[in-house]
Amino acid sequence: MSAALTSEVTADLQAIVGEQWVITDPVRLLAYESDGLTAYRRPPGAVVLPADTDDVSQVMACLAHAEVPVVPRGAGTGLSGGALAGPDAVIVATPRMNRIVHVDPENRLALLQPGVINADLTVAARPHGLYYAPDPSSQSACTIGGNVAENAGGPHCLKYGVTSRYVTGLTVVLYDGEVLRLGGLGRDSAGYDLTGVFIGSEGCFGIATEIEVRLLPIPQATRTLLAMFDQLEDAGEAVSAIVARGLLPAALEIIDRETIQAVEASIFAAGYPVDVEAALVIEFDGIEAGLDFEAEEAERCCWEKGAREVRRARSEEERLALWQGRKKAFGAFGRVAPDLLVQDATVPRTRLPEVLRAITEIGHRYGLRLANVFHAGDGNLHPNILFDRSDADELARVEQASREIMAVCVEAGGTITGEHGVGLDKRGYMRMVHSRDVLEVMRATKKAFDPWGGMNPGKVLP
Amino acid sequence: MNALAAVLSRRLPEGQVVEGFRAEQWAVCDRVPQAVVFPESESEVAEVMRLATQEGWTVVPAGKGTWLHGGQPPGAVDVVLSTMRMDRITLYEPGDLTVTAEGGIGLDLLARRCGEHGQWLPLDPPGPRKGTLAATVSTASSGPLAYHHGSPKDHVLGVSLVTGDGRVLELGGRVVKNVAGFDVLKLTIGSWGTLGVLTSITTRLHPQPPADRTVLFRGEAAELVALARAIATAPAPLAALEMLLPGERERSGGPVSLLAVRILEAPEATDEICRIVTDTAGASAFRQMDGRASADLFRNVEALESGAELVVRLSLLPSQLEALRQYACTLRDLADPDEGWGTRLAAHVQNGILRVIMSRMARGEGWIDRAAEVIERVRGGLEAEGGSLTLSRGPCELVSAVGAWGDVGPAAPLMKTLKREFDPAGVLSPGRLGFL
Repeated sequence: MSAALTSEVTADLQAIVGEQWVITDPVRLLAYESDGLTAYRRPPGAVVLPADTDDVSQVMACLAHAEVPVVPRGAGTGLSGGALAGPDAVIVATPRMNRIVHVDPENRLALLQPGVINADLTVAARPHGLYYAPDPSSQSACTIGGNVAENAGGPHCLKYGVTSRYVTGLTVVLYDGEVLRLGGLGRDSAGYDLTGVFIGSEGCFGIATEIEVRLLPIPQATRTLLAMFDQLEDAGEAVSAIVARGLLPAALEIIDRETIQAVEASIFAAGYPVDVEAALVIEFDGIEAGLDFEAEEAERCCWEKGAREVRRARSEEERLALWQGRKKAFGAFGRVAPDLLVQDATVPRTRLPEVLRAITEIGHRYGLRLANVFHAGDGNLHPNILFDRSDADELARVEQASREIMAVCVEAGGTITGEHGVGLDKRGYMRMVHSRDVLEVMRATKKAFDPWGGMNPGKVLP
Repeated sequence: MNALAAVLSRRLPEGQVVEGFRAEQWAVCDRVPQAVVFPESESEVAEVMRLATQEGWTVVPAGKGTWLHGGQPPGAVDVVLSTMRMDRITLYEPGDLTVTAEGGIGLDLLARRCGEHGQWLPLDPPGPRKGTLAATVSTASSGPLAYHHGSPKDHVLGVSLVTGDGRVLELGGRVVKNVAGFDVLKLTIGSWGTLGVLTSITTRLHPQPPADRTVLFRGEAAELVALARAIATAPAPLAALEMLLPGERERSGGPVSLLAVRILEAPEATDEICRIVTDTAGASAFRQMDGRASADLFRNVEALESGAELVVRLSLLPSQLEALRQYACTLRDLADPDEGWGTRLAAHVQNGILRVIMSRMARGEGWIDRAAEVIERVRGGLEAEGGSLTLSRGPCELVSAVGAWGDVGPAAPLMKTLKREFDPAGVLSPGRLGFL
């Protein structure tokens, strides 16, 4: 693709969306030089802010005609560098497309533009007794469009599943400006599940401009527990015991000692004891009757696996306090080290204890500070490495340790990313989990949607 | 032995190739395959597919043959490839709540093995329980449990797929969260054997529900529709909401109209949900079934299509249930009033799906054309409202005339491109998905 972002192209874009919605000023472009993974920084050639499907279609057709690559972007909270564009590419961002077209309580559906903030959807659905289940940690900032691109998860997908479970239909715009309507509740779509394959395509297939999602009734009640352990592995064992007992909590989250200490030393202090090795957050939701029984069963599992203390929230304030340590972990790391590498991998749940041991060993061997925050019920690990980028030697050790951690997870039957995506960051690991033939089929699938190669080039595939 | 069967027999171990009259029971519609093969390993499947691509033989993947008559008949059938001898569980770690099994495992066998550990795969597709996992996934079949518990696309974590030209692709994985690359796995679910042969499948499991209760409401069809819609929006987790109506005009002594509300929660919660349901309904249930009785009722729902000549699946938004019922009534004139058990209507209320299940169609001069005309009119009406009509099964001539599936729209070329990637020679179930 020979890129040519000429002033004529910029003028054409301005004619489509309006002059004020095309950003070319280098200073303003700096706001778009990275996403949530700040290790990579590269300002785009321009940023376009369309208002609707028709705008996007015209913008894309214009850019395709000029052979300028397109990088879609929601709120830029992604953690794999997927929304990064170079000077020869244009970012098509969705902040103006933030309209909830309608909430349909009769059918428990909502139709949205992609720029709607995840948490705003739940706010809009609440008066109808409904909510949107996927709740990535960044839900107060991230957009539904971004969630679709990444097939986002969150703490509650243990019980409720990830984004793909909730998206019933999409309107997408391909690179050449063609508009396709895929899926939709109330219709058995003929042919292949293009909605399904589009979700998680990280902006490499096209841009979703309208999204139909399922809503769920708000659970009648919740029970939240916090269990403290003197051994990280014991917390992992407790998770297995809870699952083995046939309980299905809405969330099972572990944070380790390093993380607890970071939180407790920060303004987010949640009152966790700083000398425990692990804290396990357990949440049940559903019908009020019977929840106490489930919570007691889970508590018993914790005691059996050597918990030092188990706290139970008695009110919504107490519940938020118990969650505080988990939710604010990433914010708290900021004062501990200048840089943070948020890792993301999934392993089969029963392999958690041994994988955790191996990760700890890798951290020691490379002399790195590791802090674990993870969705234990799903086996989705976030081993975070705290470091200082200006120390070249340490940076090299971080990269080496990351690769070893990924290898350990893959070896255990897991995968290189559970919810953050491949983006720019993990392309190098793709061969660890996929054969050449599978990578070829992925390449061909992208090509079927984007034969021109103009959508988010250089991402996902090695 | 015919030439094709002879070539296959030379490549596969003894006893894996069947031809002649023994192949007749594997006919797809009226198309009798030249050979039926029963490979016992993935590499044997790959061998068959390489050979088929080389020789240009069309291959229809199958399990136990339960769905061979479902969907649209393929244009040609040289070989039926059944994976029914590949029925082992290859990896089951109950603590992971996932299981990996060969594609040919029966849903009944899988359910028994997982049940020993108190676990459960909540899939209840229409048809006999012995139907295979691969066939269920390949046809994306689901039943009343789908709205609450999910359909195959929500359960399946990974598959091994042998492509048309014999490549073995491991798609997805065996962990519950996985976004490592494009989700190509999704294309294979519901691909009806047009992209490859599913030789291995990893699926997530759920803990078995601690209690099983069904609450039944009875009434006139139109009343039940209103009741069903009210209950569908009740603030409670309902495992299934199924409306069962007789297809004929109601007459005294005939089958009654029922609304079945299934609850699969802890016992204490079950009582509470029952209360919410009856409060919402503003009517009292005519019967309550617990445990085995509840499960049996839904097993009967799974078996509704057995012996039917015609099954039509109508779909609209769930709120348009009454419109769906009206469309369904238009179709009942296609039934033969004097033969078989008549016609039944069964609706997955929460999903906006209504099945018209007809024991026997009325024959007579020009019956295919007449039926095709009625079906096309209903399909046109539904599609205009954003819905769809699918023929799940029917007489071959009829399905060929109207097509099992409706309009695909502008995404068709893209799908064709994808099909070529998986099956370059076009040997896998050509025409099974209509244009694919």
